[in-house]
Amino acid sequence: MSRGKSNPPGLGIWLLRHACPGNHNQALTGDLIEKFRQGRSHGWFWKQVLIAIAVGVLGEVQRHWPHFSYAIAGAAMPGFFWESVLGVRSVVHWYALPWPWSQLVFEWSPQALLALAALPVLAAALLINGSFHWISLLRTGVISVALITLLHYLPDAFPWLLRPVAGKPHFRTLIIEPVFVFFSIFLVSAWLGCRSPRQAKARPAEPLG
Amino acid sequence: MPKRRYLGEMELMVLLAVVRLGDEAYGVPISQELVNIAEREIAFGSIYAALDRLEQKGFVTSSLGDPTPERGGRAKRYFRVTPAGVRALTMTRKALTNLWSGIPQLEGRHS
Repeated sequence: MSRGKSNPPGLGIWLLRHACPGNHNQALTGDLIEKFRQGRSHGWFWKQVLIAIAVGVLGEVQRHWPHFSYAIAGAAMPGFFWESVLGVRSVVHWYALPWPWSQLVFEWSPQALLALAALPVLAAALLINGSFHWISLLRTGVISVALITLLHYLPDAFPWLLRPVAGKPHFRTLIIEPVFVFFSIFLVSAWLGCRSPRQAKARPAEPLG
Repeated sequence: MPKRRYLGEMELMVLLAVVRLGDEAYGVPISQELVNIAEREIAFGSIYAALDRLEQKGFVTSSLGDPTPERGGRAKRYFRVTPAGVRALTMTRKALTNLWSGIPQLEGRHS
């Protein structure tokens, strides 16, 4: 058997290691290599890799559905409430407040309101899931505000993150669709905020060879 | 939320394969057993997803074997059924037998 045939696709193994959620990736990879060396084709190997990734991702969505609910709610909020959220600054007369409250209200109220608007969805989902903790909710809210703030100021440091909008010469938007950016921000926030120390344990090391 | 204690179809088949294989139950023989007995080729990703769920429910335990060169240095993960797993199988069999019996259309049919 030639070397090319006896070695499965390296990219497939890399994907199993890095893109396939699950507790038994090492054993799964070993099984696929063993079957491949028994005569299975490259096509069979790739099919197994893609199914393993799809099954792993679906399992993660099922396991962490409260986080995904929060991310969906968070991604939808700006579309519905962005103008209202910005209007709150004027309603509370931020300019009349003493410093630093004026600065805080001006800079952080939109982010905080967006996170606050989505947090009840996470709270309800965690309650249904039986994993509700106030500290998780608090952490998630704080991380969401921090990440939205980062997103707010990032284009100042990296102007190439913005692109012009057709028909609106004075308006610029993110190069990535904002709904995906907000979805990612809220998902990461919930994932980090609701993580217990036990879940944060490291993956076992991958053997050489 | 209380953990699900019943067995789904895939979990039932995989758990039965683990019981049949005894001390030799790791991914490749489990897959082969499912082909031989159930005549179904199931993707390894689906088998491991079922094994993961069974392990979380406490129906199987697993242990790592030694890494071998033919597996690219990866160790085999051996699975063993637990007493809770045996109880779940017994209960599932009883429930299925009860559901199966008393249906005139299915009496005497063995496919």
